[in-house]
Amino acid sequence: MEHQYDCIVIGAGVVGNAVARQLSACSVTIAVLEKEQDLCFGTSGRNSGVLHAGFNNKTGSKMARFCVEGNLEFDRIAEELDVPFKRTGKLIVGFSDDDKNSLRAMKAQGDANGVPGLEIVGKERIRELAPFIAGEFAMYSPMTGILNPFIYTVALAENAHKNGAAYFFACPVTDIFYQDGRYRITAGGRNFASRWIINCAGLESDKISALLGIKGHKLYPCRGEYFILDKKAGQYLGIPAYPVPNPREGGLGIHLTPTIDGNILIGPSSKYIEENDNYSVTQDIMDLLIKDGGRIFPYLKREYFIRNFAGIRPKLVGPQEGGFADFVIERRSEAPYAINLVGIESPGLTSALPIAREVVRLIREVEPLKPNPGFDPVRKGPPAFAGLTNGQRRALIQQNPDYGEIICRCENITKAEVLEAINRPLGAATVTGVKYRCRPMMGRCQGGYCQTRITELLRQEKKLAVKEVLYQRKGSNMFTGVALK
Amino acid sequence: MTAIHKEAVIVGGGPGGLAAAVKLKQQGITDIIILEREKQLGGILRQCIHDGFGLTRFGETLSGPEYAQRFIDLVEQEKIEYRTDTTVLSISPEKHLTAVSPQGLLEIDSAAVILTTGCRERTRGSVAIPGERPAGIYTAGVAQTYLNLKNIMVGKKVVILGSGDIGLIMARRFTLEGAKVEAVFELQPYPGGLARNVEQCLNDFDIPLYLSHTITDIIGGARLEAVIVSEVDEQKRVKPGTSRRIECDTLILSVGLIPENELSAGASVALDPRTGGAYVDENFMTGVEGIFAAGNALHVHDLVDFVSLEAEKLAEAAAKFIRRGKLPVCGIKLVTDKNIGHIIPQSISGTKDVTLTLRVGRPLTGGALKLQQDHQDLLSQKFIKLVPAEMIEIKLAKELIKSTSEIKVVIAHE
Amino acid sequence: MNRRFTCIVCPNGCEITAELDGGKIVSVAGARCKKGGAYVRQELTCPRRTFSTSIILEGGKLPLVSVRLTKPIPKEKIFAVNELIHRQKAQAPVRIGQIVLENVLGLGSDVIITKNADRLS
Repeated sequence: MEHQYDCIVIGAGVVGNAVARQLSACSVTIAVLEKEQDLCFGTSGRNSGVLHAGFNNKTGSKMARFCVEGNLEFDRIAEELDVPFKRTGKLIVGFSDDDKNSLRAMKAQGDANGVPGLEIVGKERIRELAPFIAGEFAMYSPMTGILNPFIYTVALAENAHKNGAAYFFACPVTDIFYQDGRYRITAGGRNFASRWIINCAGLESDKISALLGIKGHKLYPCRGEYFILDKKAGQYLGIPAYPVPNPREGGLGIHLTPTIDGNILIGPSSKYIEENDNYSVTQDIMDLLIKDGGRIFPYLKREYFIRNFAGIRPKLVGPQEGGFADFVIERRSEAPYAINLVGIESPGLTSALPIAREVVRLIREVEPLKPNPGFDPVRKGPPAFAGLTNGQRRALIQQNPDYGEIICRCENITKAEVLEAINRPLGAATVTGVKYRCRPMMGRCQGGYCQTRITELLRQEKKLAVKEVLYQRKGSNMFTGVALK
Repeated sequence: MTAIHKEAVIVGGGPGGLAAAVKLKQQGITDIIILEREKQLGGILRQCIHDGFGLTRFGETLSGPEYAQRFIDLVEQEKIEYRTDTTVLSISPEKHLTAVSPQGLLEIDSAAVILTTGCRERTRGSVAIPGERPAGIYTAGVAQTYLNLKNIMVGKKVVILGSGDIGLIMARRFTLEGAKVEAVFELQPYPGGLARNVEQCLNDFDIPLYLSHTITDIIGGARLEAVIVSEVDEQKRVKPGTSRRIECDTLILSVGLIPENELSAGASVALDPRTGGAYVDENFMTGVEGIFAAGNALHVHDLVDFVSLEAEKLAEAAAKFIRRGKLPVCGIKLVTDKNIGHIIPQSISGTKDVTLTLRVGRPLTGGALKLQQDHQDLLSQKFIKLVPAEMIEIKLAKELIKSTSEIKVVIAHE
Repeated sequence: MNRRFTCIVCPNGCEITAELDGGKIVSVAGARCKKGGAYVRQELTCPRRTFSTSIILEGGKLPLVSVRLTKPIPKEKIFAVNELIHRQKAQAPVRIGQIVLENVLGLGSDVIITKNADRLS
């Protein structure tokens, strides 16, 4: 059987889902093909969760334009999609004269890009904004914010799905050819046909480009490692604090970012690697994070560490060249019915929706797309017990006693929330999927209390045998079987 | 909704909480309630199916569930009120508790609050082990829950990092359930768990224990495939050229326990960085009047028997507090030298005989454990060998205490 | 000849040094109680151990129920007894002390249930 669509989006990260959602506002049939078991398993779930303001990127670049656009509209988007978001502002702190010159240049670039409110501030203003952060002076960006990148990615997908987009997981695209006005796609043992392909494959987007017959794109995976700090440390930081970036590195420097849930992230480092799926954390980088993080956050203590993770940037510039290349968002003569997105690295999270609109614009250059009259841009997330007043909690438990059963004791997440994460449309099928949607196992005990409960609920709701429970990727089976038969 | 009033609320229905409740009732404090987040009373003992519990408290050796049941039976007999499936969300310094259960929210104002919340395990994140992030890495306690309560095998070819007691116990359990335990690796030059567990859980099954070793890399993109282990020197630095690869599908971490004190922080209870638990006086009262703590929530114990005994002592003091509204001021601080890992209590009144509990920070041989006040020895106990895995008790008679100056606890080498 | 033992009778885990002459114990040092000497004698003649495991529980809330030996058995019989225990099943409800296997393999030890488990209603 062949599944037929007008548009097939490859990749269910934040960009793929934003594209699917944008397309779902038009009268077309859409499918999203994802190689992993769930949404958000690539770079979208492995970053600082920052809504960038747009001063880091070259004036006139797509990166600068889309980042500023994405930043300015995000209050409305967060409201529409029910995404936890806070416009915290951000400090880039400096110590030396060189730093000061870099900050001035960065401010000038930001002003030119149309970033509102940038100012160079002194020590006193730093103390006011972030009393525990070191620095002689800083650039302050009031528009920068923090958001929950998992929920944003999931919310875009849920909204796209609600408006008609179909999702296929565990479907890595292995073959594409063009025949009789359609792309024929083989993915995860299934066959698909589509008039359009939109390549949003992130770290695999160079390979998909090649399958589309587009030559010349090579990605250089560049890993960034992080430490996650306990919420106990969260009190020390209400605003992201960055060092002045080293332009050669192609990252933003090892920074401290409060997460929307009250933890702190230290990172990311920046290191080119060979494989695009090796999420290792390394001793050298851990030591570096502690050293560099401690420079701008002298209150850093080992006892605050609760976890490390790594993300991988799909960079179009290699280690020799360094720095950033602009986003590639193109429709080429070699593949006239494909919109090819390559090198969507930072600020991809911030730029996702502007990128999606650009995709639709490029399609409209070829064919008119009628609006979908039934399109509903609103997505509502389930209530999170931890953030409610006692009055609201009481009412909720009365409706559904599962809201009275705490599954995750670090973060006060209830059974009802876990069940909702599993059973919602496009719900979680793996342990990590549950974690991303409602954050059990993200607290200081890292699942010591809740993991056994979550695997049990997954088994029960998804009717899985013991051996079938996955941690995240294909092959990441949690258990080898029952002990006694 | 208005709060209900209690003389004592016991947070946590494990061995500490159960023993405290029974003792309070026996002391005539009747208006008490135990709040337990699990579906049954008993705490972590429900999954500790190995035996060796109860020798001190009951004079016989029992498994964990049997030991717990002794106290659960007493709670039932004494008709002590308890609620399972009930998680305490917050405790205020004024001793107002908010708890939640599928029945709704429960608000309690209590004269005394007893924290017997146990401890949690250190994780891969808190010890920052480098490498990939595959499935197949579990703390010993989580693996124990899966195996002993849920009939689930987490793996077949197991490496254990850390020689804490739960790790050692799990080495034996895995072996008996058909898994192959390749080896146990310990960062320290001495075992973390009790010698008897090294003997009967590892040696009996020919499982090697490598001291001064750690894991320096984890291999496996989806499920664990191997670990890289390396030897470390005295400064815990990896010795070059000592790395080797061990194929395994499972890594079990038994790298330490941390007293559970998330609620204490909200109640403004000050914590001792050495124990991770509250600072307490001889009555097991924390820095917040009327809030008490004992068991693994206070400091990690080697044996459950001592948890029960400590909680019983707590209950005797708490009963006095509930009746009188106050307890004697404990102004004499106990300070320790660098050989001592921690001591409980951290302050005493000098008006009654007390038992001090301590652990040494590293293995010590040949010397004397001394209590000194105003530069004079109050008492001196010789020892042949002291190890961090064991808790040490010292009885201090009130007659020996000469002043209200601080008491130093020191090790004198021979 | 001297041989060292770690006593497993209680958590003290005394390190005992036994001076041996042929198979006979000449002296025992390092034990903090008299059980230490007895342990060493036992280890030299026929080392004995107890252990715990679980069996399948049918009709209960949990899939398993824990069991243990009431008396130590010869160490080399651990795996044989373990295998025999694993072939057993219990029907909920069960109570602590309930015998699963009496005088297992004629070794003088019973296998008993160590947890109360009600029927799943």
